[in-house]
This record gives sequence, C-alpha cells and structure tokens, in this order.
Amino acid sequence: MNTEFIIITVLVGLGTWMLRYLPTRFMRGTGDPRAPLSRFLSATGPAAIAALYVGAVLPMLSPDLRAIAPLLLGSAAVVLFYLWRRDISIATVGGAIVYGIVFAVV
Amino acid sequence: MSALPTFRSGARASMPIAIGYVPVGIAFGVAAIKAGFTALEATLLSAVVYAGASQFLVLALVGSGAPILVTALSIIATNLRHVFYGPAIIEAARENATKRHAWAWSFFLSDGAFGSAIVALNRSRDYFSPRFMFGIGAGPYFAWLIGTAIGAVAGGALSAYPAIDAAMGFLMPALFLSMVLSLINRVHIPVVIVTVCVTLVLILVTSPTVGILGGMVVGACSSLAFGGRKPA
Repeated sequence: MNTEFIIITVLVGLGTWMLRYLPTRFMRGTGDPRAPLSRFLSATGPAAIAALYVGAVLPMLSPDLRAIAPLLLGSAAVVLFYLWRRDISIATVGGAIVYGIVFAVV
Repeated sequence: MSALPTFRSGARASMPIAIGYVPVGIAFGVAAIKAGFTALEATLLSAVVYAGASQFLVLALVGSGAPILVTALSIIATNLRHVFYGPAIIEAARENATKRHAWAWSFFLSDGAFGSAIVALNRSRDYFSPRFMFGIGAGPYFAWLIGTAIGAVAGGALSAYPAIDAAMGFLMPALFLSMVLSLINRVHIPVVIVTVCVTLVLILVTSPTVGILGGMVVGACSSLAFGGRKPA
C-alpha cells in the first residue's frame, strides 16, 4: 500500500467528515419554520434527492428508444408501485425488477 | 408503526438504502481492482471516506502526479453538497433536535442515509434521537463496506448475469425516485421541478458535481420565491 494512497485517503476522509459535521455543529435553528433559512433547509431534502436522481439517470439516457426502454418503464414502475403501496422499498425493488425484465427482453 | 426514537427504527428506515448500497459497493470494488488497487485498499477507502463519487475520483487521481494536497482538496470539493445534510436534519427534527454525538453520527451521512433520515422525519419528528441517527447510519455503511469487499474479491462473476447486473444498477436511481415521491407535497412540487431543470442544464454544461450541488441549492432557494404558503 503506497504512502500517497494512504495520505489522500485519510485527508479525503477527514475533509468529508468535516463537511458533514461542522455545519451540523455550528448551525443555529431559527425557531420559526417560516423563516427563510428554515424554509431553505426543509426544501433541501426533496431538492437534494431530486438532483441526485437526475445525476444518476442522465448518463443512462440515449436517443435510442430501445436503449432507454428499461429506464422509462423501470421509472414508470417505481411511480406506479409507489402510488399503489406508498412504500419506498416495494417501489424500488418493483422498479428494479421491471428494469431487469425489460433489459432482458429488448 | 409508531415513531420511536430508537436505533432499530433508524435501521428500519434506512434498510432500502442498505440494500441499494450493496450493488453500488460491488461496482466500486470492481472498479478499484481494475484500477490496480488491492481488495484491502478498496475496502479501506470505503471505510475511511464513505462517499461514492469521490472514492471513484481517488482511484482516478492517486498516482496522477498532481500535488497531494491539491488532489485531496479537489476530491473533497465533490462532496460539498453534504454541508446541508446535517443542518437539514436538525431543522426537520425541530424541537426534538439535539447535537449530542453529532460528531459521530454525521460521519455516516451519505446521500442515501440523509435521504432516509429526511423521509422518516418528514413522517414524524418524534423519530429523532442520536440512537435513531446511528441506526440510520449503520446499515448503509456496512452494506457499502461489504459490497466493496464482494466486488473486489468476486466482482467478475456478476458479468455472467447481465439482466441482474443491469437491474442492480437501477436500484439507486429507483431509490432516489421513490424517496422524492414520498417527500413531495404541495409546497415542494415547484422546488422539485426547478431542481430537476437546473440540475439537468448544469450537468450538461458543467459537470455532475457542479450540477447536483447547483441544482440542489437553486431548487431549495426557489422555496423562498414560492413562499408565503403553508410551511412543510
């Protein structure tokens, strides 16, 4: 195991932990859910996850309909399973199974 | 299911993420071996850094000849979005919030762990406690480690089953999509629409790192523009 690898791993680990911890430590609540900071922070959850979905899906896009059929039908299945059972696990696994089946068929 | 602030209810809330992290961990383990690292190095990287995208960057940049500090800082920068995760959780927990042991549980705040914490707290603030946060963190973290080790040691075997391989690759996008669905309410529909549009454009013209961070910040800020209505 070379030294450069170990130093970079430790620095990146430390830096990432600080990004996660320091804002938590020094944050002060506004005490008012209608305050701008509170509204910004409560919108952060849906915004972060929506952005992550776009980031995960974008590399899978293609102009070829056959290539993106698993993605389209898999995503549609996630939505339908979610609306049906209101359960994240069922929607996720159901979507992935549909994705796999469509992938195998086309 | 009652909203108990226990380790177990946290672990239950992040179970889907833990399952989703195994295949992504496997993909990372496979990539690490391909890049010339050992199984031990790959697992160590997952254990110490625990942030998917930046770990792939470590694989690419170690040995590139750039100064170590510059390399480390530019990799850390890809995780900048994480600065909002802890404060968003504290905000969501409101009167139940406590920062006791936050130095420890915040280490485990990956994208997925954050998502499951927010989804649970959105259902009830009563879930929040340090124990609940450790429960949220434990499953995905160990799943990520186990996935990395499996990928590094036996990753090649999966390529024999392309449909299963493909379906596993869709687990994380499917999880993000269903988490968005569970979080969406009248107030946050415009936020999600703005986020998706801005992220899309920014990723296309800049990079995924900038796009995800920028889309998320602009999207969350847009909640102020659509304000005046009932808070979430």
